[in-house]
Formats: sequence, structure tokens, C-alpha cells
Amino acid sequence: MIESISNLWSIPLLVIIPMLTAIIVNFLYDKAIKPIAISSAIVILIISIISPYGYHWFCGHPALNPETLTFTFNPNIFGYKLSLEFIFGPLQHIMIFISSLILLFCVILSTIGLTKHQGPYIALLFLLFMSSAIVIMVNDLYHLWIAVEIGSLIVVGVAAASGTSISHKAALKYGLFSAISGAGLAVSLALILGLTGFANISDAIMYLKQFNIGEMSTVLYIAFGFFVLSWMYAGGLAPIHPLKSEVYGASYPHATTLLQAQSKLMLVAIGIIMLRLFGMLPFVKEVMIFLSVITMMIGVIMALIQIDFRWIIAYLIISHSGFVTLGIGLGTYEGLIGGIFQAVNDIIYMTILLLCCEALFYFGGKTSTKEAYGIAKKSPFIATATILGAIAASGIPPFNGFQSEIILIQACLKEGFPEIAVLILMVSVTTFIALLRGIYRIFLKPPELQSYDDSNVDLPKVLIIGIIIFIVLSIIIGIYPDIVLRFIIPVVKEVLSI
Amino acid sequence: MIEVTIQLLGFIAAAILIVVGIGGMLFLDNLIKKIIAFTLLSDGVNLLLVALAYREGGIVPILLPGMSISDFTSRAILVFPAGIVLTNIVIGVSTTAILVALVIMLYRRYGTLKASVILKGERR
Repeated sequence: MIESISNLWSIPLLVIIPMLTAIIVNFLYDKAIKPIAISSAIVILIISIISPYGYHWFCGHPALNPETLTFTFNPNIFGYKLSLEFIFGPLQHIMIFISSLILLFCVILSTIGLTKHQGPYIALLFLLFMSSAIVIMVNDLYHLWIAVEIGSLIVVGVAAASGTSISHKAALKYGLFSAISGAGLAVSLALILGLTGFANISDAIMYLKQFNIGEMSTVLYIAFGFFVLSWMYAGGLAPIHPLKSEVYGASYPHATTLLQAQSKLMLVAIGIIMLRLFGMLPFVKEVMIFLSVITMMIGVIMALIQIDFRWIIAYLIISHSGFVTLGIGLGTYEGLIGGIFQAVNDIIYMTILLLCCEALFYFGGKTSTKEAYGIAKKSPFIATATILGAIAASGIPPFNGFQSEIILIQACLKEGFPEIAVLILMVSVTTFIALLRGIYRIFLKPPELQSYDDSNVDLPKVLIIGIIIFIVLSIIIGIYPDIVLRFIIPVVKEVLSI
Repeated sequence: MIEVTIQLLGFIAAAILIVVGIGGMLFLDNLIKKIIAFTLLSDGVNLLLVALAYREGGIVPILLPGMSISDFTSRAILVFPAGIVLTNIVIGVSTTAILVALVIMLYRRYGTLKASVILKGERR
């Protein structure tokens, strides 16, 4: 006898629709790709908005009552959930909504900008979204591992798709390292499974809390080590940041918007899982904070010495990933709120900057500060949007970056880390300097008369609309942070069992 | 004294494969050898999972008609690690295919398989 269960309809759709679209567009002619891809992206966006909260028991194992020999899905009977499951809650709601919005613009821009191999490329974008959605919804180690592995392979594909030698090399380096880290995550899964007997993350945490972990701590530390490795490569944390930054810099800017969103989702999802699974072990939080701090510093220093605007943004994405992981690593109420909020804000303002970078491709394709000049004269809108994006990324009010950074600073001060609070401020200021340097040279510096092409360029309307939407989002969240915080606070309370 | 069982031997062999695989991927210069090292690493992980699922005198985890649940649960090997191995084989093949494709493209461009030459820094 099996009790009835109420699986949420939207969870499988958020996985299956991108997967099916990826399969279909891969085989279609160019003219048929655009309507199908855009329709699918719109459907995914609508689902992410209207979906209620709930769970989906994905080919799970029901619990067996040994006395009555009946199967049940009721988790309260034995305390454990015993299953592979996906959850769609407030955190998933906000994260998937923003990712699907970015997916929509990415798909439209790639149908406009790409003339060759549109189908396979758009298929990769949909699969990239799918892996992000799985990572953020999953509550079992098995699907987490699969999503991280698929995500890595797709990242390799997206990076290689831009077709340059740098992109191929970046893809190969990332692919080789992801092969090691993916295997490490599988070992970690095996260790936790062998230790607790559970693949469900909530079950494994419950088991570890109920029993004395003294004798298990060595195995747990090894599992934690492999988790950290996966966390580093999925999010591009130092000291392996060059792999991810090369992927960001070598990919098309519109694809980088989705890549960085995927990284932030992975950082949040894996970070929270690490905090819940290993948070009781000594030095775990310290390791997470240390990695965050060096990522913040190295990322922003590397951004300062870049000469290409794409690479400046690529290293700033890495640096700001450190903000996200810092908040999660602190593991406090304010820290977690700040970290997750920063992830949302970071996705938004980096998308503004990357879409502006995409616009530069329409002005001759040059993004190097040594080659591009006087774009502000050709397009005051893009210049203004880039400056607004830079202000948001630097944590200046009334933009969204300010709200999350102030929460993170408060969290650091409350935990007794004033030096890290100062470091956050320094990274914000240096972010502004790095961006301003690029903006001045590309947009504001007077053009050299001989090489200056004064012809007018029509930017795609969807690019302009996308930039406007994300700027408006940035300002609205900056003025009314509660719009996002109401999704984050319940999740943080649940993680900390408040 | 530790009893030497098939499971323990499996764990030891898996550990050796994983270490050799990681070492090969990090220290070998030839890209094809790096990919071969990855397959060793992947096999090591598979062996670890198989050893984890091993049960002395165990049966394939398929509930056959007429078999009682208690008999099945007491004799069958652990089903979940077996499922993970199946997935890992698929992921391993996909990863190998993508890496080989990238290596072919880079070989055509640079005419060598040496990672030290191909992956050398390039001016941006």
C-alpha cells in the first residue's frame, strides 16, 4: 500500500521544458529555431512566476514500515524522508525567476547575433539554465552531483562556442579541472552515503545531528574537502579563479550573463548544503571565509590590471562571488541573508554590464581599452547604462548592490571581523576604479581622428529593453530591498532552524 | 587485525586508481594522456561505489515475482550506489568525448598535443 503524494507540477516542467527545447532546436532549421526557443523561454519564465511552493519526489524510495510492511511517503512516520527530491520554495522562486529572465534575453540575442550553428548554441543555453534550476531545487546529493557535472560540461560547450583559440583553451582547461572536481564530488557523495546511508541531504543532516560524529569526523573532513573543490570550480573561487574567469572572458557576453547566474546559483546551493552538512565540524566556516576573502581580493586586483572590458567584468564577477560565499561562510542570520541577497544583486548588475559589453560588439566588436574609443558619442544610452551598472556594482545607493553589501558589512562587524568589513568597502571602491578605468577609455576618451568611424549603429531593441529592465530592477531592489528579502528570510530561518 | 575482504581490496584498488588518475591529469604533459588519466580516475570512483554497494553473497537488486520483501532486503546489494555508477559511466563518456573534441580542435590549430605549448598564456 502506498499513500498518495502531492507532487508539484512545475518542478518537472522547469527541468523537462529546457531539456526538450534543447533537443528540438538542435535539429531544426534556422528559421524554426527562433519561435520555438523564444516561446520555450517565455513559458519557463511564466512557470517560474506562477508556480506554487512544494516538492517533487523524483523516483524516490518510499519508507518501509517494518511492522505493517507498507510503503509510505509520509516523512513524519520515521523522521527521515528517504528520497531523491526536488524542492521549490521562496529561494528557488526568486533565483529561477531571475535566471529565466536572463535566459529569455540570452536566447533572443543569440538568435539575432549568431548566424551559424544557432541550434546547438541555443540548446547549450537551455541546458545551462536547466543545470542551474536543478542545482537550486535539489535536495539530494545524487541530483546535485549530476547537475554540477552537466553544468560543467555545458559551461565547456558555451565557452568553446565562441570559436576563438582562447575560448577553446579556456574550455579545455575548465573541462580538465571539472573532470577532477566532478569525480571528487562523486567520491564525496559515496562517503556521505556510506557514512549515513542517505542520499537525501535533509536525511543525512538529521542523521549527523542525531549521532556522535566524533569517529566520523575524518571521513566527513575528506567529504568536505571534495565539496570545497567542487564549490571552488563551480563558482570560480580562488585559487582556481583563472579557469572560470577565462571562461567568462572568452564566451560571448550574453552567454556570460547566464554563466555568471549559474555560478552564483551553484555557489549559493552548494554553500548552503556545505553549511548544513559540515557546519558542525571545527574550521569549516573558517575555510569558507578564507576562500571568500582571497577570492574577493585576487579578483578585484586582477580586474585592475586588465586592458579588455570583458576581462575586467570577468574578474569582477569572480571578486564579487567572494561576497556571496563570505555571507554563506559566516553562517549567521545576517551573513546568510547578505550572501544570498548579494547573489541576486550580483546577477542583476553584472547582467547590466555584460549586456552593455554585448552592445560594444555592434560598434565594431572591440572591447579592448586600447582599441575602442569614443563610444559615448555614438551611443550615449550604452555609456549611461554602463556607468549606472558600474555604480550598482560598486555598492553605491540607490542601487541594489548597496543594500546587500551593507548587510554583509553589518554581519562581519557583528561576528567580530571588522577587518573583513573594511575589505568589503575596499573591494567596492576598487571595483568602481577598475570599471571607471575601462569606461573612460572605451566610452569617454576622445577618438583618434584617423581611426574613428562616425557611422551610426542600430542596436537591437531587445538589447536596449533588456538593459533598461535590469537597471530598473536594480533601482527598485535598491530602494525596496524587501521585494527580494521576503523570499530570502524564510529560507535563512529554515537553514538555521530559527 | 584488519580482515582482508573483497570490499577492502576494492576500496584499496579504487584509492590507487583515483590517486594515479589525479596525478596523471595534473602532471602529464600530453593531453591525450591526461584524458586517459581521467578515465582511470572515473573508473576509480566507479570501483569505490561498487565496493560500497558490495554485500557478501549478495544478489542483483531486482525484486523478482515470488520473492519476499524481507528476503530481498537481506540479500540484495545496495541499489543506490549501483545507480550512481551507471550515471557516472554516462558522465565519464560525455566528458571524455568533449575533451577529445577540444583536443582535436587545438591539435589542428597548434600541431602538437603538449599541454605546456597549447595552454601557454596568450596576450589578450
